[in-house]
Amino acid sequence: MTTTQEPLVVVREQGTRHIPGQPDMWVFVFFESLVFTAYFCVYLYSRTQHERAFLHGQSQLLAWLGVLDTVVLLTSSWTMARCVQHARAGRYAPARRDAFLTAGLGFVFLVLKIVEWVRLIHLGHTFTSSEFFQYYFFLTAIHCVHLLIGFVVLGVLVWKLSASQEIVETCATYWHTVDFFWVLIFALLYVVR
Amino acid sequence: MMRPAILDDPKRELWLAWYATVGFYSLYTVVFFIITRTQPPGKPWYDPSQVVGWFAGRHDGLLIGFALIFVLGGLSATSLALITYSIRRMSVSRAFAYSYLILYAVAAVPGFLFICTAMTVGAMRPERSPALLQWLYDLAFLSFSGTMGVFLIGSLIWMTAILLDKNHVFPKWFGYLNLCNALTEVVVAPSWIFHEGALAWNGAIAWWINVVVFALYTGAFIYLLRSMILREDFGTGPLPGLDSKVWRTIVPVEATV
Amino acid sequence: MESRVNMRLFVVWLILVGITVAYLAIDRAANDHGLATASTAVTVAAICLALVKVRIIMREFMEVRTAPPVLRRLTDYWIVLMAAALLGVYLAGKAVA
Repeated sequence: MTTTQEPLVVVREQGTRHIPGQPDMWVFVFFESLVFTAYFCVYLYSRTQHERAFLHGQSQLLAWLGVLDTVVLLTSSWTMARCVQHARAGRYAPARRDAFLTAGLGFVFLVLKIVEWVRLIHLGHTFTSSEFFQYYFFLTAIHCVHLLIGFVVLGVLVWKLSASQEIVETCATYWHTVDFFWVLIFALLYVVR
Repeated sequence: MMRPAILDDPKRELWLAWYATVGFYSLYTVVFFIITRTQPPGKPWYDPSQVVGWFAGRHDGLLIGFALIFVLGGLSATSLALITYSIRRMSVSRAFAYSYLILYAVAAVPGFLFICTAMTVGAMRPERSPALLQWLYDLAFLSFSGTMGVFLIGSLIWMTAILLDKNHVFPKWFGYLNLCNALTEVVVAPSWIFHEGALAWNGAIAWWINVVVFALYTGAFIYLLRSMILREDFGTGPLPGLDSKVWRTIVPVEATV
Repeated sequence: MESRVNMRLFVVWLILVGITVAYLAIDRAANDHGLATASTAVTVAAICLALVKVRIIMREFMEVRTAPPVLRRLTDYWIVLMAAALLGVYLAGKAVA
């Protein structure tokens, strides 16, 4: 099998600076962060106008479950970062293993989320039952949509693992974005008073 | 008399379509936001008597504005045609272009023409029963905002085409922006459920933020279509000109999929 | 080299998890006497901590630390922008309420 090494892998030495992945993905990260920040602002403003109702709704959430969700996604970001490092050094087998670990952790997050939603629905809190829960379900659901897209992105990463380091880094950038969106959502839904 | 250069320019039809696109979106903005004032949308929680008042306050604007749309709305076809042309110019299967064309052409009926028709019908006879006017009002706004599924798939098709494309017709960041646009369609879906609040059809999230995203997206593709026409070489290979480092993507040596 | 990189990533992960667990303490403190009360201090702390985590994720996991200055500056400005927007809207909302 004749292949030429990805130039970026060969020439990268200590000290050369490069933008991780396609700069285009960073455009997406900035843009989507802006959109999410706008959603968060709408939520926070509503919160200040209906303090007691929001506090009451929030008290139905389990903070430790939110912490667990966050730790799971943070760990998936960790395995994602390790995957990129392995791939960069040509260690494709460990990279693939880390990619699958990342997907597995993402799946754990998804299961935890569904468990949490089912629990809340059984307690009588639904999308339409109160303003707090309207925001709760909206933010967690739109985040989950991003997570599901993340699985597709991970698929692309595994597909292109040995072919293009840039695509690996691009996909990793997307995954980390899903993670840091959750970091913000957790703080805003579970902790903010 | 010298023959004007534009008559022999092989790109003249493309430019015609592009200027028509700009014309269409300008018309759309002026009609919806200024003449008919149907955007920002009316409030979903209005009772029938308030709806009567809403129609009364916009009577002439609705009839004139939407009459303009009925006459000139066909210009929207140029926008669609140019985008389909851009997808055809890509290295991906033509199926992408045709799917996009069909989806958006079909979507224009509920997503664009229903509101024009329903509002015109409502304005035409102000003496209609308030309940009927409220029915037309709901139909107009729900169909305009709520029929998003078609646009969602369309955006995803364009996104996939751009990301797979090896001819560099569009920069990859616009492919990702298509994802952002597709997601706004998801965000507007709850407007079928809520009569008030951020997720209602006039809500801070479902309308205001969405419109900003849509406006930026539309501005981006109008600009990029112009850039495509400037770079067009009527070949089938990579389009020249987008080779600044920011846009370049590394094509894997083993391009076998 | 590989082990150094791996160790750095592990330490970063530990710090992030540590900050996350610290939220539990904030949460418990906020529910003083079992009653949930609005608190600007808790809100500001929660948001700032979240942005600290976001910056760490960007710098270390997303490799912005080894990126050209333009990306480092852009991500920092973005975080400041988010802080200003979130805190600004919250404080403005409290003032209006």
